[in-house]
Amino acid sequence: MLNEFLLGVGVVTGLNAFLALLLVLAERTLSHYGPCTLTINDEKKLVVPGGQDLLSTLKREGLFIPSACGGRGSCGLCKVTVLDGGDPLATEIPWLKPEEIARHVRLACQVRIKHDLRLQLPREWFAIRQFQATVVSIRDLTHDIKELRLRLVDPPEIEFQAGQFIQLEVPPYELTDEPVYRAYSISSPPSNRREIELEIRYVPNGLCTTWVHRHLNVGDPVTFNGPYGQFVLRPGNRPIIAIAGGSGMAPLKAIFLDMAEKGIARSARYFFGARSRRDLFLVEEMKALETRIPGFQFIPALSNPLPEDRWEGETGLITEVAARHVPDASGAEAYLCGSSFLIKAAIAMLTERGMPRERIYFDDFG
Amino acid sequence: MKQSPELQKIQEAMRPGRLTKTGFLGSDSRPLADILAEDEATVARLGLTHAAIATRMAYFREKGEAGLGLAVDVPPHFEVRVDGVRGRLPCPFAHPGLYPKIFCQVHNQKTGETVTYSDLQIHLIGDHGFYEGRGSPYRLEPETLVQVLEITPEE
Repeated sequence: MLNEFLLGVGVVTGLNAFLALLLVLAERTLSHYGPCTLTINDEKKLVVPGGQDLLSTLKREGLFIPSACGGRGSCGLCKVTVLDGGDPLATEIPWLKPEEIARHVRLACQVRIKHDLRLQLPREWFAIRQFQATVVSIRDLTHDIKELRLRLVDPPEIEFQAGQFIQLEVPPYELTDEPVYRAYSISSPPSNRREIELEIRYVPNGLCTTWVHRHLNVGDPVTFNGPYGQFVLRPGNRPIIAIAGGSGMAPLKAIFLDMAEKGIARSARYFFGARSRRDLFLVEEMKALETRIPGFQFIPALSNPLPEDRWEGETGLITEVAARHVPDASGAEAYLCGSSFLIKAAIAMLTERGMPRERIYFDDFG
Repeated sequence: MKQSPELQKIQEAMRPGRLTKTGFLGSDSRPLADILAEDEATVARLGLTHAAIATRMAYFREKGEAGLGLAVDVPPHFEVRVDGVRGRLPCPFAHPGLYPKIFCQVHNQKTGETVTYSDLQIHLIGDHGFYEGRGSPYRLEPETLVQVLEITPEE
């Protein structure tokens, strides 16, 4: 009886091992697509090994596609035009508009390279590079926002436009066993090419924010790639209305510092919201810009000031404060950065006051 | 409890790197059916339902949204902040659509305790009775939710 039982166990185990071996062999042979050629914008050709996803393959070739989730298909950022890549997968459909599907737009992280592909990529992506840097300072801006200053090592300089963002690489640590990437706006002006600053708010259990807030130290090496994004100051002379909250300060700080350095004199009102005094930061630095940029006004507001704050400034939600100051927004343009709720409320407020929707610029984190 | 092929398929989708980076199960090696059954029993012992817990979570989520990313006071003694980060998450139980990465942080000022949960977790608890596996960094213990959010059985 025991022998029969052991024989049965042996047969089942052997069968499982055989099937596992078959799967491994199938993986190595059937899914071996050989070298494939990627033709980019009908100009550049890259010969790459088949079988891998497009996002990581392009990264290995030094072409960085914007992505905030590291290729999990959960951010919808890595949209590329793949002219002969087939239909989008079910995992891509929620991210793609019908017109994008018609134009053969795909999520690069979901496209597996099985044959030669023709790609259309925006030219500005060719300027995106990977950078090695060193943490030179970490400063507490508030109880949950840290300012990170990075000195570039290789390459030693970066060119970017004020308002753009980078993707910070989080190395393997206790919350992740492989590198992950998260997007952060650069808060320093482009004039300093050797260093960049980031403002990073702690998100409970966030893979990157936990690493930055709990593990990263001055002197540590870090890797990032960039720059990315179109959230930059548009040329012209229209008055500017900027609205931000929390770590949404970062790109607007860079834009206004850049304006001050370049002597751009445009009427600008910057509304920045926080809950109480302990959540407010860089007030003196922003106020100082009022003397450097003719027509610039920094208007901080607290939604719930504490008695000990002795706050005499504006109070209320930042969109309510901005609404009190801006009865007519029809001639202005707006720059918004913060939570998706803030952006939604600010868009509603501004369009009610006559601002055309196309003159409202923001970083869409939704 | 016997695990159906459907649950086995869902459990596979919950592993790290399938739908999300960290997955939904943590270090929990039990069949999904057992994970669900244990939490079901816990919630029943507390005299509650998954729907009642999810409704309370959604209540704070809705109140917190008014802060536009900043914390707001919710009577009688809660501080709630609702914010989001870039990205969306799919339901591992294969419901269509994606849930934005919006998190709700509820601080009970009376007890000093805080819980944080996402839009997806409100759905997972309300519609599937799933609180994530043991060892998952995002697991929500039913007892903790009930205590911090002060959820009481309906009379």
